[in-house]
Amino acid sequence: MIARGVLGVALAAVMLICGTMTFLYLGTRTSKATVPPAKPTAATPRAQAQSLPGTLYLAQSGAIYSLSAGRFHQLTPEAGWTMPSLSPDGNSIIAVKQARMSSDVYVLNRFGGVVRQVTNNAAPARLAYDPGFNHWSFYPRLSADGATLWMAYDKPKYGYDVILSIWAMPFGGTIAQGKLWTSAADYTGGDVQPVPVSGGVIYTKYDYGPDLQLVGRLWFTNRAFSAGRALTSPDEDCRNPSVSPDGTQIAMICTYEKQVSYLVLAAWNGSTLGARRAIITNQMVAQPTWAPDGSGIAYLAPGVAAGPFQLWWLPRAAYAPPPTPAPTPTPGGPHNGPLPTPSPTAPVVVKPVQVTTNNGFDATSPLAWRG
Amino acid sequence: MAGGLAYFLPAAQLALDATGQVIRVPTPSPTDLFTSPVPQSPSPSPTTGAFTVLLLGSDDDSKFESDHVLTQSMILVRIVPSTKEVTMLSIPRDLYVHLSPGGFGKIDGAYSYGGPGAAIATVSQDFGVHIDDYIWVGLLGLIKVIDAIGGIDVVTSHPVMDDYYPADVYGGWPYDFERVAVLGGPQHLDGIHAMQYVRSRHGDLQSDFGRSQRQQQVLMAIRQKAHQLSPEDLPKLSSAIGGELKTSIPLSRVAALLPLAASFDNPDQIRQIVLLPPYTHGDGPDGSIQPDWARILPLVHKYFP
Repeated sequence: MIARGVLGVALAAVMLICGTMTFLYLGTRTSKATVPPAKPTAATPRAQAQSLPGTLYLAQSGAIYSLSAGRFHQLTPEAGWTMPSLSPDGNSIIAVKQARMSSDVYVLNRFGGVVRQVTNNAAPARLAYDPGFNHWSFYPRLSADGATLWMAYDKPKYGYDVILSIWAMPFGGTIAQGKLWTSAADYTGGDVQPVPVSGGVIYTKYDYGPDLQLVGRLWFTNRAFSAGRALTSPDEDCRNPSVSPDGTQIAMICTYEKQVSYLVLAAWNGSTLGARRAIITNQMVAQPTWAPDGSGIAYLAPGVAAGPFQLWWLPRAAYAPPPTPAPTPTPGGPHNGPLPTPSPTAPVVVKPVQVTTNNGFDATSPLAWRG
Repeated sequence: MAGGLAYFLPAAQLALDATGQVIRVPTPSPTDLFTSPVPQSPSPSPTTGAFTVLLLGSDDDSKFESDHVLTQSMILVRIVPSTKEVTMLSIPRDLYVHLSPGGFGKIDGAYSYGGPGAAIATVSQDFGVHIDDYIWVGLLGLIKVIDAIGGIDVVTSHPVMDDYYPADVYGGWPYDFERVAVLGGPQHLDGIHAMQYVRSRHGDLQSDFGRSQRQQQVLMAIRQKAHQLSPEDLPKLSSAIGGELKTSIPLSRVAALLPLAASFDNPDQIRQIVLLPPYTHGDGPDGSIQPDWARILPLVHKYFP
């Protein structure tokens, strides 16, 4: 009788243990797609040994991180920080801090400490009853001489029609001294992503195309309050311009009005874009950014389909193949016979390298890169 | 066995609670005012296995009484398993139609007058479409579903900027406003930002039509993300969307449909239709949109035979 009782208890214990083990085992079988991204500083495996030159600045979950020598460092707390860019001397970070109702441009030192607040976009307390008295500042960039701050700023706006326009203001001044540079189209989201270049500014303008769909286009203007000249067509639906270190090429993303995002390169001569070359067509590419030494392009894209955005690296050889070798000169004077033809070498396919695997970088935040 | 049962219990509970909802279709009320053509509700489609589902999305915050909510989103979806074709037709929420409970009004009011049955009857009688089932999702439900599946990847068409977006999701004063800025381009959206992207309509010249296109984008992104999920994710999903999802599809059919959904992998076979002008024009009573039935019905009957 006692033996039967002991057996019953033992079986119950075995059932409990097996049941618990099964429960826990099933819990480990959930797909990785639902696992929240890890902080870059805690992610394992760490950024691969892929040694990117200099220091790269990225944003994730409202914090700015630097990546240097394969290690991430968190520079700011998770408090709405995004869109880092660099001062021309590389010693300061210009970034946006976004709150629920407004966002402002700040100057940070290289370690993420706040040096000063540049804009003041929160509505004064007496006007806080109406959300419309607040403003957004996004995509800050300094001019090459460091004297002018370019940004997208939601003024003017008209009731429900909240549109971003490109503004330029003295870096040491206030927005009251700023100048409106573009005339954004109504009910489009407006003009964003200014990139100051020699003689003007390249930016992304959202507008309705001939098919009445909202599309992005790159524009160049060299005069305040002038839309300037369109660089891409509506059906290309391009945005995120990034100029190469030597100023001769532009990287951008184009969607062709679909749920795709290709990395496209084009030559830039200071006023027009050359033929397009789609370099990556099988990923959802965001924020292409040239390495300061010209060794490649970093960008953000999902690590797996429909997943959070990871850091990727495209070596220069992937988009700038080595030149065709010249025929070897024949020693011993002029050659009278037919010239030797260089033997064709099989093209080497250089693929993008995935640098991180389980982060979740902010794909709307441009990357900044110090050489 | 017991561990497995315990693990999947929340999913089973939700499946039992949310599926197989009985549709109470109100008796159509005759009206002398009815002037649009009244197509007979057709019998089920002759295409083998094809079926049509009405997707309904609602505000369900404290501004409304339970089950007396407006449908901010109405999407008619026809699925043809044999050819793996999907057609999505967004119905403008402000479309001025004959409502099945009686009289005329904006189509988003049908649900508030008579629940899903009235919404189905209204769409069915006005568009001449046989609807097999409905799926209703509340505001919080969509947010929670997207968060539970780990977010979605979307190429947002443009910056969605709104200074007067309803701040009614997480309690507080439901008539309050907040500012929204969902920036343009490829990005990974969590539930709250995906909701802002599909719900805001102030910053779009096409208003509800632009919003309908964004809703279809997000539905496609959810579908793509669903491919990455495994059965073991179901309990987490179930606990996330409990009470925010209702469907007339019976549980047995849901199980049969899951493998079918996974087999639809060609985006070119997913047709998206939005009733832009000239199918509709915006001079109806009380800010409503007038349908041009002479154009709409041939289009609808072509894709929803």
